[in-house]
Amino acid sequence: MSDCQGLGDCDDTRMQRIYEYLDGALTREDLTEIKRHLDTCGECAEQYDLECLIRTMVKRSCTESAPENLKNSILDRIHAIKPVEA
Amino acid sequence: MLPEPGYGMQPESRQLTVDLATMSTTEPAAAATYQTAGADDDAVEVNDVDPASETPEQRRARFERDAMQYVDQLYSAAMRMARNPSDAEDLVQEAYTKAFSAFHQYKPGTNLKAWLYRILTNTYINLYRKRQREPLQSNSDTIEDWQLAKAESHTSAGLRSAETEALDHLPDSDVKNALQSIPEEFRLAVYFADVEGYAYKQISEIMNTPIGTVMSRLHRGRKMLRDMLADYAAERGFRAQTDDQAAAGSNNQEKEK
Repeated sequence: MSDCQGLGDCDDTRMQRIYEYLDGALTREDLTEIKRHLDTCGECAEQYDLECLIRTMVKRSCTESAPENLKNSILDRIHAIKPVEA
Repeated sequence: MLPEPGYGMQPESRQLTVDLATMSTTEPAAAATYQTAGADDDAVEVNDVDPASETPEQRRARFERDAMQYVDQLYSAAMRMARNPSDAEDLVQEAYTKAFSAFHQYKPGTNLKAWLYRILTNTYINLYRKRQREPLQSNSDTIEDWQLAKAESHTSAGLRSAETEALDHLPDSDVKNALQSIPEEFRLAVYFADVEGYAYKQISEIMNTPIGTVMSRLHRGRKMLRDMLADYAAERGFRAQTDDQAAAGSNNQEKEK
């Protein structure tokens, strides 16, 4: 359990605030407030850093290139489709 | 059949308004933040097209020009849905075929990539899940329960900066496996948020679920993912080190490399 209550009185609330901060889903006012808190609270900053890292890891490892032939297969299929009138 | 194939994604500007209205904590001042978080690098497609008056050839050309650039992204998302590369390819092909057939219903100027993602998600549900016309809903309550119980047995503060360090060493394959091991509706929410940087509202449109559901899926999904990654790190010997373990631990890490 965390000792800091600066972002809420339980871990769940705190993490939710950190996620919203990370996801850009906060008002400017809340953003400023959370940023100020993260600048001064090592404990919450650590949580934030960890979530940022995981986000970066997910992004890095899930960015894949489609196999070479996939685009051509799609084009072949599309060209075989009779045009639909709008 | 595609549920609501013609449902156009909201244009970015209108999207913003909807977001602001829906989320009580948000105010217009946050608009800039929203855009950096959600709009990301999505290309804005040409606006001055009238799908009603274009010829089939023009439409085909427009599809190839505007939609085909997202094959890699759709494939990456499909890899999070399907169990193997070959199924992922089938899924992307099928989604593109449907998208092409429904392209006259796509509203130019709205977010094309998000529209394609929505079709991909629907295609996945219809083709592979055989649960027609249902939004992505958890039938995994039981899985969810034990995973949640597990997730909650760790405190959120359980991972220390040494573990941040440890996680950083994990290979991509571990991250993919960890993501693959959490229930799919959580997995996809995390994917759309973390990889595409989509706003909650956009994810809710792609997955056809309320915003509150998206937020709770993200919250729980991230928690599970984090736990799973911590387990992988521990298995690989990248443990958070206490002072007296530090020497032995660093030896282990050297061996792992």
